[in-house]
Amino acid sequence: MLWQATTNGLLLGGLYGIATIGFSMVWGVMGVINLAHTGFIMLGAYTTYGLYHWVGLDPIASIPISMAAMFALGYVLQVLILNQIIRTSLLLSLVVTFGIELVMVDAVSNAFTSDVRSVNASYAASSIELFGVLIPVVRLVAAGFSIALGIAFYAFLRFTRAGQMILATALDREVAALMGINPERIYALTAGAGAALAGATGSLASMLFPIMPGMGLTFLSAVFVITVLGGIGSVEGCIVAGFIYGLVQAWSGYYLGANYQEIVGFALFLLVLVLRPQGLFGRAFFGEHA
Amino acid sequence: MSPAPRIRRRALVLWALAIVGVALLAAAPLVLNNYWLRVLTTVFMYAIVTQGLNVIVGLAGYHAFGNAVFFGFGAYGCGVAMTLGLPFPLALVAAVAVSAAVAGVIGWPILRLRGHYFAIATVALNLAAIQLVIQVGGITGGAQGLPLPLSDLPPGPLYRAIYLVMLAGMVVSTLLVAFILTRPFGYALRAIRDGERAAGVMGIDTTASKVAAWAISAGITGFAGGVWAYWITFIEPASAFDPAIGVKAYMMLILGGMGTVVGPVLGAFVLEFLSTLVWGGFVTAHQIVFGVLIVAICLVAPNGMLVAGRTLIQRWRSRHGAA
Repeated sequence: MLWQATTNGLLLGGLYGIATIGFSMVWGVMGVINLAHTGFIMLGAYTTYGLYHWVGLDPIASIPISMAAMFALGYVLQVLILNQIIRTSLLLSLVVTFGIELVMVDAVSNAFTSDVRSVNASYAASSIELFGVLIPVVRLVAAGFSIALGIAFYAFLRFTRAGQMILATALDREVAALMGINPERIYALTAGAGAALAGATGSLASMLFPIMPGMGLTFLSAVFVITVLGGIGSVEGCIVAGFIYGLVQAWSGYYLGANYQEIVGFALFLLVLVLRPQGLFGRAFFGEHA
Repeated sequence: MSPAPRIRRRALVLWALAIVGVALLAAAPLVLNNYWLRVLTTVFMYAIVTQGLNVIVGLAGYHAFGNAVFFGFGAYGCGVAMTLGLPFPLALVAAVAVSAAVAGVIGWPILRLRGHYFAIATVALNLAAIQLVIQVGGITGGAQGLPLPLSDLPPGPLYRAIYLVMLAGMVVSTLLVAFILTRPFGYALRAIRDGERAAGVMGIDTTASKVAAWAISAGITGFAGGVWAYWITFIEPASAFDPAIGVKAYMMLILGGMGTVVGPVLGAFVLEFLSTLVWGGFVTAHQIVFGVLIVAICLVAPNGMLVAGRTLIQRWRSRHGAA
C-alpha cells in the first residue's frame, strides 16, 4: 500500500509541477502574483470538456487548442490590465488577479452551472499492474505529458530567441530595454505562455478530477508551496518540487489520513519560507522585483 | 506662524463633523427599516475589518492579503465560547484574544518574510485555517458548521443592538488607529513601512513592532468576526474564512487611502453602498460585477479615490486654463 501511495504521489506530482511553472515564471519575470492562474487551469479543463462533449474530441488532442486559447487570453489580459497595474504598484496585482479569477469562475458557473462534469476517455478505466502496484493509464499519460511539457518549456527558455528575451528581462528590465527588448511585450509573452501551461494542466486535470467552476482553487495551495519550494521562476525547480509535493501529500495521506494533506502542505510551506526562502533552485535574480 | 491655528481649526471642524455623524448613525435605528439597518451594519463590519487591515498594511506596510483569517478566528472564538456557555460580551473578548494570540504566534515566523512572500503566506494561512477547523471538528462543529446559542432578545431589538455594537467597533477601531498614529509605536510602524533596515538602525525593535501591529490588526478583525457570528447565528468554515472578505476590505482600504485615519471608513461606505446598489440589478452575476469593480478601481484609483479625484480636478483645471 505504501508503494501504491508513493506511485500515486509521483504521478500526481508531475501534474502539480506543470500546474506551477506558469505561475512561477510570471512571478519570477515580472513580480506579479497571479491569483488568476488557477482560473486558467479551470478554463483549460472546461475547454477540453466542451470539445469532448460537443465535438467528440479526445482530451489529449484538445491540449493544443486549450493551450492556444489560454495563451491568447493570458496575453490580452496582460496587455489590457496587468501592464497598466505594474506601472503603479506590484502588490496591486494580487487584488486585480483575484478580481479576474472571480469573473472567470462566475462566468463559467453562469454558462455551465455549478454541476460537476467529467470527460471519459476510452482508456480511462484501464490500468497497468507493475510489481503489485496499480498504475491507472490516465494518470501515467497525464504525468508523461506534464514532464514532456516541462522539458519543452525549459528548452523554449534556453534555446529560442524569445525565451532568451524573457530570461534577459527577468534578469534586468532596464538593460533588456537598452538591448532593444520591449519589456511590456515580453511580459505579455510570459503571461501568455504561463496561461498556456495552465490551460494544458486543466486539460490533463479534466481526465483525473471532477470538472467544476471551483476546481482551480484545489490547485492554489499546491501552486504556492511548489513555487516557493522550487525557487521563484525556476522551471526545473517546479518539476522537482512538484514531485516532492506529490510525495509529501501521498505520504501524509497514507500515514495521517487524507484530511491532513492541506495542513501538512502548509507546514511544509512555512518551513521552506523560514529556512530557505530562495527555494531549492532559486537564483539571486529571480523574484528580485518583490 | 499663521498656518498652525488654521490647521487646528480645520481639525476641530472635522472632529465636530465626525461626532455629529456618529450621533446621527447611533440614532438612525429609530427611523431605519430592516433592510437599511442590515446594509449599514454590514458597512460598519467592513469598516472594522478594513481598519484592522489598515494597521498592518497601511501603517506597517505588510500586505496581509489573507487577513480575513482573523475574521474567521474571531467568529469561531465567539461561537465556541458561547457554546461553552459564556455570555456574548465575554465571548467577544475571547474572539479578540484568540485572533490576537494567533497573529502573535504565527507572526514571529511569518513576519520575517517580506513583500510578496508575506502576502502569499497569509493567503496560504487563510486556506489552511479552513482545513484546520474542519479537522479539529468536535466543538467547532467541523465541516457541518456551528450554530450559535440564540439570544433572549426578540429579532428587532437584537438587530438594533448588533448595529450599535458594530458602530461602536468602527468608532473605537478608528480612534485606536488615530491614537497609534500619534504614539512612538505609530512612528515606528511607519518607519518600518518606509525602510525597515533603516528603522532597525534607528533602534526600533522591528520584529516586536510588526508582531504587535499584526496582533492589534487581528484583534480588530476578530472583533468584527465575533459580532458577525452572533449576528448570523450559524457559521461554517467556508463562510467564516471566506478570502473574499479580506479582499473586499483590501479594496476598501485602497479606495479610502492606506495609512489614513478615516480612509478605511470612507472606503467601506462607498464600496459597500456601491455594491449594494449595483448588485440588486445583477442577481446571478454578483462575482462578475465585484471582479470587474476590483479591476476598475485598481486601474482608475490605485492610490485612493481622494487622490484620483484631486488628479482629475487638476487635469480639468489645467486643460481649462490652457483653453
